[in-house]
Amino acid sequence: MLVYDPSTNPLNNNEWAFPLAEIIHIASFAVAIGTITIVDLRLLGVGMRRQSSAQLLKDTTPWTLAGLAIVLISGPLIFSSDPNMYLNNPGFQFKMWALLAAIVYNYTIHRKVAKSNPSPMLGKLVGGVSLALWVSVVFGGLFIAFT
Amino acid sequence: MSLFPFFHWLQQTEFGTALRESALVYPIVMASHLTGMALFGGLILMTDLRILGIAMRSSSVSDVIVQLRLWKRLGLVMVAGCGILLAWSKAEYYYQNPYFWIKMALLLLVGVHALVFRKSVYNNTAELDRARVMPTQAKVAACLSLVLWIGLVSAGRLIGYYEVKP
Repeated sequence: MLVYDPSTNPLNNNEWAFPLAEIIHIASFAVAIGTITIVDLRLLGVGMRRQSSAQLLKDTTPWTLAGLAIVLISGPLIFSSDPNMYLNNPGFQFKMWALLAAIVYNYTIHRKVAKSNPSPMLGKLVGGVSLALWVSVVFGGLFIAFT
Repeated sequence: MSLFPFFHWLQQTEFGTALRESALVYPIVMASHLTGMALFGGLILMTDLRILGIAMRSSSVSDVIVQLRLWKRLGLVMVAGCGILLAWSKAEYYYQNPYFWIKMALLLLVGVHALVFRKSVYNNTAELDRARVMPTQAKVAACLSLVLWIGLVSAGRLIGYYEVKP
């Protein structure tokens, strides 16, 4: 029977590997969440008002996707360093549900509404929910170290 | 003159002690530091990429720089504010941590960068819009900004891995 032994994971056997994975994770979620924030500022009506939300969505989509792709590679790598700890960690569990909700929301409701150049009311609601979801993901991630 | 007495004093103030010992406030401050990076770090990056002509090309350079300026400033206040609180609460530890000082040096360079390029790039966006080819100075500013901010994030994360000798 094959049993995974985290002590064989390169992330646990090189002083620099784990922090490097974390740095890549942080830089790439800054890209993903920062580009979504550009659209959200417009939806909220508080920034980038000379552009339409549809145009900003179109401009940022490839960068959001690139950021998310790197997040979704570096994240599981970090997870693999100690799977049992993460699975039993309330901060991690919260983060995964928040992340699932944020990604589904981003590629359904958020995308559809941003494309339609919505009314200010709808824009504020959809942009606000988007920011709240992504902030929850980051908070969940940080609380892994404290729960 | 050593700054250590100041850092020692900071840490043992009532405020520093309360912050350090709080099970909830300390992680919330740290999470806000990170959240600020997520929300506003990306704005800096996209500004730099726009100057380099790589991203957001359907908006003019001025539209991106001018319209994001306020939000980047607010982001910096949030991130730096939380950062000061974090350093305050464990000031002696930070004092002895080389990555903390690397981070401070990089922050100083961020300030120098802003002073050096303010006139020719960041407050000169109408000129950049008119230029047929992006001036080298603007491209240099954008590249340096990318390097500085990635360096800041890296040094920040490495602070947590340095073990202070007892």
